[in-house]
Amino acid sequence: MRRLLAFLSLALLGGCAGFSADGGFGPVQLSARTHLDKELRWARSDAERAAIQQRVAELLTRPLDAEAAVQLALLNNRGLQASFHELGISEADFVQAGRLPNPGLSLASLQRGDEHELERGLHLNLARLLALPWAGQLEARRFEQSKQRVALEVLSLAAETRKAWIEAVAAEQARRYAGQVMEAAEAGAELARRMAQVGNFNALQRAREQGFYADAALGLARAEQQQRARRERLTRLLGLWGEQATRLALPERLPELPAQADELPEIERIGMARRLDVQGARLASEALARQLGLSRVTRLVNVLELGLVRNSSNQAPTQRGWELSLELPLFDWGQARVQRAESQYLQALERVAETAINARSELREAYGNYRSAHAIAQHHLQEIVPLRQRIAEENLLRYNGMLIGVFELLADTRAQIASVASAIDAQRDFWLAKADLDQALLGKPGLAQAGAITATPAAADSGGH
Amino acid sequence: MVSRRNFLGGAALAAGTVSKVAMAALPEPVIQTSPDTQPPLQPASGRPYNPVVTLNGWTLPWRMNGGVKEFHLVAEPVVREMTPGFKAHLWGYNGQSPGPTIEVVEGDRVRIFVTNKLPEVTSMHWHGQRLPCGMDGVTGLTQAPIAPGKTYVYEFVARRPGTFMYHPHADEMVQMAMGMMGLWITHPKGKHPLIDPVDRDYVFLLNAYDIEPGSATPKIMTMLDFNLWTWNSRVFPGIAPLVARQGEKVRIRVGNLTMTNHPIHLHGHEFMVTGTDGGPVPRSARWPEVTTDVAVGQMRQLDFIADEEGDWAFHCHKSHHTMNAMGHNVPTMIGVDHRQLARKITQLVPDYMVMGERGMHDMTEMEMPLPDNTAAMMTGHGPFGPVGMGGMFSMLKVRKDQKAGDYSDPGWFKHPPGTLAHEWQGPLAEPARPAASAGTPAVEVNIRKPTGAHHGH
Repeated sequence: MRRLLAFLSLALLGGCAGFSADGGFGPVQLSARTHLDKELRWARSDAERAAIQQRVAELLTRPLDAEAAVQLALLNNRGLQASFHELGISEADFVQAGRLPNPGLSLASLQRGDEHELERGLHLNLARLLALPWAGQLEARRFEQSKQRVALEVLSLAAETRKAWIEAVAAEQARRYAGQVMEAAEAGAELARRMAQVGNFNALQRAREQGFYADAALGLARAEQQQRARRERLTRLLGLWGEQATRLALPERLPELPAQADELPEIERIGMARRLDVQGARLASEALARQLGLSRVTRLVNVLELGLVRNSSNQAPTQRGWELSLELPLFDWGQARVQRAESQYLQALERVAETAINARSELREAYGNYRSAHAIAQHHLQEIVPLRQRIAEENLLRYNGMLIGVFELLADTRAQIASVASAIDAQRDFWLAKADLDQALLGKPGLAQAGAITATPAAADSGGH
Repeated sequence: MVSRRNFLGGAALAAGTVSKVAMAALPEPVIQTSPDTQPPLQPASGRPYNPVVTLNGWTLPWRMNGGVKEFHLVAEPVVREMTPGFKAHLWGYNGQSPGPTIEVVEGDRVRIFVTNKLPEVTSMHWHGQRLPCGMDGVTGLTQAPIAPGKTYVYEFVARRPGTFMYHPHADEMVQMAMGMMGLWITHPKGKHPLIDPVDRDYVFLLNAYDIEPGSATPKIMTMLDFNLWTWNSRVFPGIAPLVARQGEKVRIRVGNLTMTNHPIHLHGHEFMVTGTDGGPVPRSARWPEVTTDVAVGQMRQLDFIADEEGDWAFHCHKSHHTMNAMGHNVPTMIGVDHRQLARKITQLVPDYMVMGERGMHDMTEMEMPLPDNTAAMMTGHGPFGPVGMGGMFSMLKVRKDQKAGDYSDPGWFKHPPGTLAHEWQGPLAEPARPAASAGTPAVEVNIRKPTGAHHGH
């Protein structure tokens, strides 16, 4: 008995936990700082909210580069703020788990003839008390996991925003180029109209030039649609509302392609050590291991109930004592729960393995995409665009020598512009692959379908009509 | 300048492919490196004659060998400057295309060594000559082809005086398109009843090439749409003028090895066609002309007295043939208003310049960058501005004070006072036009109408 009490008091002391000062936000903030170099705020008060709004307004004064966009999303995305509250919920569970189970009080008043018997009992769920340290640890782990999950969410929002930003800027650039194609076609169509007007062109020749113009207009409309969609997606991720959305300005072009793609031979090893999803899965399996241990230990005791009894009677001296009731494990030996916990644990182990396998593969894929995207973009920039440029220059010389006409010159200009547009797409794909790679080092990347995005149609060579 | 050099020492290809022993017995091949007109080659041996001047060309020296005139032609790849700044990669003879002119005298026994330094077989046909059939040079028909590195010998007597050509009859579509041709003049032995002595005797061949601007080798598959119309593989302003002293009797011999006819036209004088590749024209059959059509594969000999002083245009009368490289599919821009549009196009093509809106004369005045290695379309300049011509165009320059035998360019003609067209300074009366026919169509054509309107037809 003495032993039991000693154990109980130890358990009570050990299991007692209070609310943390930061509500578990600190580690999330830290992860944002170390992995992203970004500031993170949890809008829990009006003052906080005002501070965030001020910072958002400040960021919106300039054209938003990728880093600023990520920062803005991390401050202003409401979904992320909602996730922060997960932390609160999870911490509450954790604290709750550390509290002593409420004792039960029983009071019975019994009459037998003149005898008046008063029975008072204080009951405590012994199982919960016994399990207190384990349960506390479990919830602590769950809380940890919550923090991990939120941190991961922060990272994936950052990655998503970065990609949305890249796509929005590229779409804007593509729209501008479509506008230039349109202008070339417009000039051609107008010239053809004037040619026909003074009798130098027939209806067929004129219609042909008009046809280019019509196609260009279609291209421009599509580019505008794309640009709008991309921008709105970014707006959503940035959590911009009303007038804020109109203030969103983007830079004119994507960042330059780096001269060299990074060499990352150690990528798999680094990724395995750093990836939060791998760590999370491992943590989850550990938690389940504890739970399994707990289930084994408590498979019998959890049907134990301890009570203090005080029976007083007006006819007899007061009865004192304790009672221990025990459910007979005749039908429930706790095997089912142990079985369940065991399965959960084994499941978790498989999940860890799966996560690790996927992570390594994703790292390889992301790295491969990154290298190819760099090679492709570089080929565009160093070979295709300069070649097109060269062709354009030579064509101008040929125009100067009256070897070709202005319409051929304009058709070639369209082709040249289209090559620039493809180069932009390739540059965009590189930055997307880079974002994926960065994300793959921290968590599950939303790998872009390589190749699917580079669907820019080859420049229609329409010269020489 | 005629540079004599032993090509055994000079050309590695020759050393590799032609046997030194075989070459030892041959006359030394003479190579010409300049595209300029060379002074007439006065005969130092053999029968005397009055030599010709090859426009932007030269005459091949010979050696006498036991009473036989020996020449050595080397068929080889050459670089021909067609006009300053534009060099073509051709096939020719002895350093140039066309090859050197061969001059002999009626009755001469002639032995010609032909060495093939081309990558393919060749042969030599002596266009218009009376000779043994086996000397006629038709590959497969009258002789075996001359393999690369081999030398063949042709020998015959120049039986009749006249104007002739030489060119291959092996893979001739390619070899002619690449510039393999030359002139042959047989001078009369002594006085000839139908061939008058002349003070100056100019000769040239008409040839045409299709060389993509910016490249150097002719497109040999082109059949008709040539872009370079040349005299002796030169285009104006790369063609030398024909010079004469006032009152001199001048002869011009023209041979046509293009694939179309050329009406050759002389300003300021009338001439007689006094001979063809068939021989001298009987006097009763000659008639005066200012333009004579030289059909494909023909030669014409024109005689006239250069009695009018001045710088007289002399050209092919097909107007496209007095152009250099140009596109034949360029839309006509005449009358098309470019305002505003030009600015729009300039945004896309920064160096764009409006051309052709008022015709093409602008072309002659604008100095715009062109593809490398091409002949500008019309770049000849005269004393009054751009001549606006290229291709088959030159001048007959007749001067009082030009010395006999002096072939140098005397410069621009100084017009005596009162003999030059000038601007009218007096009042100008408005021309009377019939009211109905004048106004309506002009307005219809020029007015700006909304898009789609069917006016101006």
